[in-house]
Amino acid sequence: MPKLPIPKPPSRDEIMALASEYFPFVPRPRPRYVTREGKRVYGVSAEFSKTPAVYHAAEKVRDAGYTRWDVLTPFPIHGIEQAMGIKRTILPLLAFGGAATGVGGALAMQFWMNLDYELVVQGKPYAAWEPFAPITFELGVLITAFTCLLGMLALNGLPRFHHPLFSKERFLQVSDDRFFVCIEASDPNFDPARTRELLDSLGADRVELVEDED
Amino acid sequence: MSQAPTNAPANDPTRTPIPQRATTMPVLTDKAWRARLDRIAAHPAMRKDNITLPDNAGATLSTGLLFVGLIAFVLTVLGAFVYDPRHALGAFEIGLFTATAMSLGSMFFVMAFHSVNAGWASTVRRQFENVASVLWVCWVMLGGVVIIELVSGGVLLEWLKIPAGENHLIDAKQPFLSGGLFVARYVVYGLVWIGISQRLLALSRKQDETGDRALGRKARFMSGWGLLAFALTTAFFSFDFLMSMDFRFFSTMWGVYYFASAALSSVSVVVVILAAIRLKGRLTGAVTEEHFHDLGKLMLSFTVFWTYIAFSQYFLIWYSNIPEETAWFVYRQQTGGYMPLFLILCFGHFVVPFCILLFRRVKRSTGLLAAMGVYMILITIADMVWIVRPMVYAAGYAEANPGVGGWWLDAAGIVSPICLWGFFVVRQVTRGPLVPLKDPTMHEALKHANYV
Repeated sequence: MPKLPIPKPPSRDEIMALASEYFPFVPRPRPRYVTREGKRVYGVSAEFSKTPAVYHAAEKVRDAGYTRWDVLTPFPIHGIEQAMGIKRTILPLLAFGGAATGVGGALAMQFWMNLDYELVVQGKPYAAWEPFAPITFELGVLITAFTCLLGMLALNGLPRFHHPLFSKERFLQVSDDRFFVCIEASDPNFDPARTRELLDSLGADRVELVEDED
Repeated sequence: MSQAPTNAPANDPTRTPIPQRATTMPVLTDKAWRARLDRIAAHPAMRKDNITLPDNAGATLSTGLLFVGLIAFVLTVLGAFVYDPRHALGAFEIGLFTATAMSLGSMFFVMAFHSVNAGWASTVRRQFENVASVLWVCWVMLGGVVIIELVSGGVLLEWLKIPAGENHLIDAKQPFLSGGLFVARYVVYGLVWIGISQRLLALSRKQDETGDRALGRKARFMSGWGLLAFALTTAFFSFDFLMSMDFRFFSTMWGVYYFASAALSSVSVVVVILAAIRLKGRLTGAVTEEHFHDLGKLMLSFTVFWTYIAFSQYFLIWYSNIPEETAWFVYRQQTGGYMPLFLILCFGHFVVPFCILLFRRVKRSTGLLAAMGVYMILITIADMVWIVRPMVYAAGYAEANPGVGGWWLDAAGIVSPICLWGFFVVRQVTRGPLVPLKDPTMHEALKHANYV
């Protein structure tokens, strides 16, 4: 049996970091690295101009054992999941949970209501299962759809007010003709010098430090 | 970031020229087409020993199917004379309509693939074409049923038996329910089905030899009107042979109900055929787990589609409570004693296969999906039993003829047409290359992958 793709629970620092994104009164955890000016280091980004280059770079970064990093591209690249070593999402499991809740809830609600307060409608039997089917289906679909949409947003860490990468002028070209690989400083393998070296060796056009706002 | 000169005059030579918008679709040149054919032919999966079965492959299977089919046929005929012609014909029709459903559904998928230019399906399309091309066998067997019904003056088709002026419901359905038009429609079904299925296979086979791109476009054009002709003939076929067994009953959803079974069982039988070919070590790299995944998705969606149609039909009849319609269900659920079969269909045709086919691992595993394919064919037979078998005993027939037939007559009647049909399918599959050789979209199918 393959292991179910259930992610590790987040550490306290990760929860605090996430909460501080949304609530200004939550103190941000201390950064692992700061620049000489005292700014927080978000990570190191590398800029590429060709799709194969960024694809192979992603494979190398994956093999180097990084876990908290991302590839940012103007369009979807087929097979980049494998190149990045991204595991399958747990969203189908969540969706199944939503469907089970919807179907079970709808059936329980209708049988309870119809057996608790019996009413003759068109001479049909009490609590006949036939009229329950459309409502069961609708509620199942509704809860599943909400779970899928909200679960997708939550798993992607969306919505968020700000991303450190947006403060870089050059990064805006990611919606046009540039590809970026960004390794975050919160990665356990992150080391300012060695990570930079790795990205340099991948044939990046430009490797830069990404600073975070305070 | 490059700064485009926005305020330069129109005749400035440094100004970036605006690219002309193409007015027509880019045309694949003959040279590029030949290069593509060469690339397809050079693909490792297109080796000759990978895309053709050995000469004697399937010989045992087809002989066995023919043998079993003929024995079962003899038993059915024997049962008809010794026990009861009505019972024997009913059992035979259950098998025959299942076989016809599988071939008709395959014809639908061939046309659907052609009309949407389905690139992924190019490697699996030949098997759909093969299954569809034996429609003539179904039509010939159906001819036997028509002759028996007409000569005997109505065995299962009660309306042939009752003279005009005796039953208002039959008189109201004239001239649709009359022997002459019945035969005329039967001939039209044959012309449409055999014409389309043989022509589509012939076009595909011819393209294997010539590599002519125009043949693919011909098949595509034919699929356009062919789908319409298919929809009408399938619906009317099911009205004529299945719905009119109870001439009081009518359902506007009936044609779609039969089509749902057809689409589901045809995907199932093609999955079984492809799995058997893969078991022989053929089609490696041409039909991969990615193709099985997509066929599995089709199986799942048509399981849901069948449920949707079957339930909607039942639900509306249940709610509106019109005697002509409800009699069909009342006999099956209450007086006829087919309630267990109803529950088997509810759970076995929907709940269980739906929950199993939801899993990605099942759809991507050749063996598990083939097992599900066999199961779905069996449950389609159960669906046909649900439609046909109660008609054998309807209208007080059981009381008048106590103890008609036995289970062996049912088994022989159902097995016989399916095995005879299977014999022709196996012969057709083993005859030629297992995939189209020079299909315009073959390169897409060979690198097909589900990026999710």
